Amino acid sequence: MSKLLKLAEKMIEYGVKKGATQMQASINEGTEFNVEIRNQNIEKLTEAGSIGASFKIIVDQKVATASSSDLKEDTLKSLIDNAITRAKLTSADEFSALPDKEDVDFDISKLKLYDENINKMTPEKKIAYAKKIEEIGKSDSRINLSAGAFFGTGNGSYNLANSNGFSGSYKNTIFSTGVFLQSGSGDNLFEDGWYEYGRNLSTLPSEEVLAKKAIERTTLLMGAKKIDTQVVPVIFDPQMTGSLLGFLSSCVNGSSIYMKRSFLVDKLNTKIASDIVNIYDDGLLPGAPGTRPFDGEGVPSRKTSVIENGELKSYLLGTYSGRKLKMKSTGNSSGSTNFYMANGTSTPEDIIKSVKNGLYLVKTMGQGTDPTTGALSKGAFGLWIENGKLTYPVAEITISGQLGEMLAGIEMVGNDLTHNRSTCGPTIKVAEMTISGK
Amino acid sequence: MSDKTRRTFLKQCGAGMGAVMASGLWMNGMFMGCSPQDGDSFFENLFQISKEEMQKLLLVALSKGGEFSELYFEYSINNSVRMEEDIIKSSSESISLGVGVRVIKGEQTGYGYTNDLSFEKIKHAALTAAAIANTDAKLKIADLNVLTPKLQTYDMKNSFSDKHLEEKITMVKEAYQGAKDHDPKIAKVSAALADEIQYITIANSDGLLISDVRPQVRLMVSATASDKGTLSTAFANNGGRVGTDFYKNNDHPKDIGIRAAKEALILLEAEDAPAGEMPVVLHKDQSGVMIHEAVGHPLEADGVWKGTTIMKDKLNEMVANPLVTIYDDATIAGYRGSLNIDDEGIETKNVPLIEKGKLVGFLNDKLSAKILKHKENGHGRRQSYAHPPIPRMNNTVLAGGETDPQEIISSVEKGFYAVSYQGGQVSGTGKFTFSVNLGYLIENGKITKPLKNATLIGTNVQILKEINMIGNDMGYFLGTCGKEGQSVPVTCGTPTMKISRMTVGGKA
Repeated sequence: MSKLLKLAEKMIEYGVKKGATQMQASINEGTEFNVEIRNQNIEKLTEAGSIGASFKIIVDQKVATASSSDLKEDTLKSLIDNAITRAKLTSADEFSALPDKEDVDFDISKLKLYDENINKMTPEKKIAYAKKIEEIGKSDSRINLSAGAFFGTGNGSYNLANSNGFSGSYKNTIFSTGVFLQSGSGDNLFEDGWYEYGRNLSTLPSEEVLAKKAIERTTLLMGAKKIDTQVVPVIFDPQMTGSLLGFLSSCVNGSSIYMKRSFLVDKLNTKIASDIVNIYDDGLLPGAPGTRPFDGEGVPSRKTSVIENGELKSYLLGTYSGRKLKMKSTGNSSGSTNFYMANGTSTPEDIIKSVKNGLYLVKTMGQGTDPTTGALSKGAFGLWIENGKLTYPVAEITISGQLGEMLAGIEMVGNDLTHNRSTCGPTIKVAEMTISGK
Repeated sequence: MSDKTRRTFLKQCGAGMGAVMASGLWMNGMFMGCSPQDGDSFFENLFQISKEEMQKLLLVALSKGGEFSELYFEYSINNSVRMEEDIIKSSSESISLGVGVRVIKGEQTGYGYTNDLSFEKIKHAALTAAAIANTDAKLKIADLNVLTPKLQTYDMKNSFSDKHLEEKITMVKEAYQGAKDHDPKIAKVSAALADEIQYITIANSDGLLISDVRPQVRLMVSATASDKGTLSTAFANNGGRVGTDFYKNNDHPKDIGIRAAKEALILLEAEDAPAGEMPVVLHKDQSGVMIHEAVGHPLEADGVWKGTTIMKDKLNEMVANPLVTIYDDATIAGYRGSLNIDDEGIETKNVPLIEKGKLVGFLNDKLSAKILKHKENGHGRRQSYAHPPIPRMNNTVLAGGETDPQEIISSVEKGFYAVSYQGGQVSGTGKFTFSVNLGYLIENGKITKPLKNATLIGTNVQILKEINMIGNDMGYFLGTCGKEGQSVPVTCGTPTMKISRMTVGGKA
């Protein structure tokens, strides 16, 4: 057992002795390295280690939490004493309880969360990668400057125990890199870029592939026009589908449901999307960015069908929201894991071809989402589609729609899903949305 | 990992509702009354470090030839208490302790940090940061000279960090009931009080040694209204670097709750906003978010020397309508974005940005000021010891004008009146959006029906010229600003104003 897991268990023993009915302790440790390159020089280099402990204490169904980056045992004990005192001042809540013990019955190493390359990859190699993507990025004649490239790595150890007998730990790694560029001239400038991240070094693309993607995105909108206000079909590129799913995940989150802050309240087992829509939350996908063996309460991860053939099958629940809704935790007390739309049968090319007059959406700006009503309204950038072909870029417009109507209006689902983000999906076509422009 | 191109302003910060948490200055009041005026004993008690040790560490940080080194010690305690569904659901207390070591050489920054404040661990972080340089060591630095901040912009009387949880619970209940009891249609309410006390000590190789104690509090209410199957949610909050008196004299907890409830009720009746270009009137209370995005971020000096901001070559040019004067003033008493000294130890002041339409200044940190050969103006901020400082806003304000707000509304034949926001976002190239929660339609100079779900989009160089009427009133808005993965508390202020044309994204 790791030293930190032992410390967590020791703190639980202390808390229970001092009067906690139930207690959970987690202690996480990590190191980070990050280098930022601009104009081929190192602009910023950060290297550090950090540690943090957090506790949840329940005294007779009354809850208090605490956390600290100061791990001196005296500090932790004082925090626990305080938390027990504080818990007594809150209200008893019959739904407050730690999860019943549920074992992690799979081999954590199969999840591919930890890559030994973290210790083998030297700072020089990371610097060289970042320099290379910037060099390629700047080599395109349409690019007028680099806002910087970076390469980062992280190494974390997670340890969680509770008074119901759960005790688990795992390690993970992260590799991330990207470059940000600017194109255009005068007051008509465009900035964008691209980044990738993954648990394993091998998931990062080559320098050429990453830099080309950054160039493509940065130059895509050059010479963009504003268009007239109209209602048209909108194609979401995979990244935009991911962003839309991020909004959906906040609407299927258990706390949004019991607080009635979601348009999907009482919609379980009803049809909310078109037949070709299948959405999952899968915490067990080997090597994927959102994968974890268990959530922040020690509930083992699983694959949850959220939408199956258009029907809402499950919310994403933690122990508390599950008990509130008379359901079981889905292992999502810390939010979604790998939340994705499954591939459909269309190629992205076929989807574009199917549109006579519409928007191919590549970028949005702004918050503009309201889970309570499902309303979405964002600044939008993309390419205009005419007669099945991508034509000129459009900018400074907005798109708006209601998420339920959008899900029901998904007419085509692409076959180009990649798990390069924890929330992701393939190219999709939404039948109609309002575009605001001139 | 941060998307470097992204700058956001969020009305509701993730850490706000429930993430963090709650008790008095803890450990038997060990830090009670701990003040920067105490001189050496402040950091000796808090961080168990002496002036001599800091001097040694600053020199270690320069052992590879860096030009400037700095230590940033931080101890902060965050408390929160949350009420939902008629009960106090939980309280929380969070301690953050650490030190960051920064070394600058030319335009390069090396950074290391640690939670362990033993001399050896800090020395390790100092050596890590030192490695940004690779020439000969500096052998001597200026002697550290303890200074105390001259300003006191925080209200330290009746500080929340001295208050017992019971007292905070009473306030949260008042705010909660304010919303819940306002109307039977209010179905769900959540209310939370989050308070923080942050102790910092900054020492650098120029001989500066200064400390500050910063309070921060925020009382937040979200109300969800329900009527005939329609749901709506609205949010209200208030706070700042203030004590409990603020909620007695300036804004009562109950009134914060009522505001959230009222907006949720109006939203029940609201229709979708129209789509297309039209005149836009911005209500005084929250529209400062536009100044924050459209003006503030593009005038942060790191974008100037990196060449990423659209405003980089426009100093001393007319960039806005001559009616427009904008400044960032971190010294306003008690405001959420106020600071006595910035996170590099520089005394804050009122920094003019745009005077009668002319661009007159940028917000800088030490590094930007050095590279651009500008005077330092105290806008280097960081989220915590784990982050190097970067140029940031504090309280960004568009100065009040002379027009009666009613006259501004009367001048619009058909347009959009933006009242409350979820937040905003801007790119370095000046394109910005703000997301409107509640607005109204203006028809024939009169406010008619409520509207919801709109995004306003524009480019800052255009919008600044399109501001053509400015009210003689003033409102302030609290938020949390995100840049390069770092969040800091800010305020922004505006009077009522009119933008002659802007794209409103609603439903066609």
